[in-house]
Amino acid sequence: MKILKISFALLICAIVSSCSNDDDNTEDLSGQTGELIIKFDNGVGDQDFIFDTSYSKSNNETYKLSTLKYLVSNITLTDTEGNEYMYPSEKNVFIISEANANNAGEIYVTLEDVDAADYTSISFGVGIDQGRYALGADGQGDFLTTAEAEGMMWSWATGYRFTRIDGTYSSSTVTDEALNIHMGSVGTSIDNYREVTLSLPNTVLIREDKSPQIHVVADIAKLFDGTTSVSFDDGYAQVHVDETTTGVIANNAADMFSVHHVHNE
Amino acid sequence: MNVFQNFKLFAPILLFISVFCNASTIDPPIKSVSFYEYDYDYDCDLCGCTTGSGSFGFGTLNNANFVGVRYINQHFESKNGIFSNSPVSEETFNTYQLWAQIPINNSFYFSANLPYQDLSRKIDGTNENINGIGDANIIGWFKLPFYKKPANDVMESMEKENSGHSLQFGLGIKLPTGKFEEALVDRVNPGFQVGTGSVDGIFSLGYSFAGNTFGVNTLLSYYLKTENKNEYKFGNQFSYSTKFYTAFPIKKTMLMPFLGVSGDVFNKIEQYGETINDTDGSILNSSIGTELVVNRCIFGVNYTLPISQNLFGGNVTSKNRLSLYFNFAL
Repeated sequence: MKILKISFALLICAIVSSCSNDDDNTEDLSGQTGELIIKFDNGVGDQDFIFDTSYSKSNNETYKLSTLKYLVSNITLTDTEGNEYMYPSEKNVFIISEANANNAGEIYVTLEDVDAADYTSISFGVGIDQGRYALGADGQGDFLTTAEAEGMMWSWATGYRFTRIDGTYSSSTVTDEALNIHMGSVGTSIDNYREVTLSLPNTVLIREDKSPQIHVVADIAKLFDGTTSVSFDDGYAQVHVDETTTGVIANNAADMFSVHHVHNE
Repeated sequence: MNVFQNFKLFAPILLFISVFCNASTIDPPIKSVSFYEYDYDYDCDLCGCTTGSGSFGFGTLNNANFVGVRYINQHFESKNGIFSNSPVSEETFNTYQLWAQIPINNSFYFSANLPYQDLSRKIDGTNENINGIGDANIIGWFKLPFYKKPANDVMESMEKENSGHSLQFGLGIKLPTGKFEEALVDRVNPGFQVGTGSVDGIFSLGYSFAGNTFGVNTLLSYYLKTENKNEYKFGNQFSYSTKFYTAFPIKKTMLMPFLGVSGDVFNKIEQYGETINDTDGSILNSSIGTELVVNRCIFGVNYTLPISQNLFGGNVTSKNRLSLYFNFAL
């Protein structure tokens, strides 16, 4: 019996001691940096996006895409204290191309040397802001060449294509008609750059020895049936430089993003 | 295929054991058809995985104390992605356990369990495997038997008559003897781990009834989980199980078939002090099986199928579990 009592006592001790809180919340993060991976995952509703798959939308229209690209820039993180960290401007512009997705359909954007902190929200721009465009062709660095190679430029004068969506659509009146959504700011004549701010479901911890991930979902269905529902038959099959249609698509594009989850590891 | 491979491995062991049992001249523990106490062993398979756990806690039907080995084969399907058409990963968890229930005296005993985990899964046509020693647990039990009320005219009856009903109180600890890999956290099934890396408390209440024609065993357990060194904390868990059994003597052996239900309810996982969405869930299982008692040897088989489940936001599906065990009564 004595042995039993002692062993029970030990057991309780072990349980209680294992519950003791040894958090040190005064972690000094100054000077520390770490990596952050942002996974962009294109979907259509609850389906993973797949090229050349027919998707239904409003107005009894369907569409199939063969190209799906968009520009993301000015990624900024806000920490628990409300401090903002913006990734260095010259590197802070990315082409999110479904063609570059991995097996799971995710497009990785890796940010290096991010200031260590506990971040609670992320914001980014869809497209290129006027300030960046105003830097001129030389001010774009290597990105200009990349964008040209990816077909994300018209010409320098008309600037970047913020979205490059190519495919076909069918409706009650047409079958497999060309679909091209090339939305941009058309030089400086329109400002179709939009900012998106998303709060994170869990805090992202940037540390030297960690590589956390933010899983961002882009619901492509919302590009056509988002803030505004558009009809391909009614002028939205070819979206290029028109002030009205590009603006509607820009607003819809900004509204298609959400953060599904984060991984801290 | 895996099941058969494992069975092939298991078969010679069983064969050896059966020879050993027949050679044994020890008196059989069962002397009549009436039921002996059916006590619990403990299986808290928190890891490998968190979705397959203590609700599977059954040992020998009629022996309070034993040493033995058990093999558990579990299948899961986990969605590898966030969409409804995301690819599915097929998971096979094999667990090999050494387990025992050792008496201290008439009222106290303890149970212990040391698993070896061999977990594999198929993702995108490639196979991943992790294996190693899992998390051991040890539980101290206090048994409270209930006696029949003595008739008024035999106040000084020498022997109290056992009513067949009893309660068991268990207090235990799960040790982080298995390795927890933080890299595996980025997976849909967080149970794909050999160990939780945490010291957890186990609180159990059992009820047993052993009658003349049937027996009942019910076990309720609560797992109080703690944060591991990766600041990762599996959700606290409530497990329940109940089983009805009967027995048929066949020559010198006893066949004891049983039917039961069991289940688990999981709280959300916490990491860095925050709860993670879609990491809670529950499952209700049905089980069927039998034991064969030959002298002091007990052979058991238990097959479990889920009745209803919602694990990790519906992203993980438990398919079935098969358990084979051999215990030697002490």
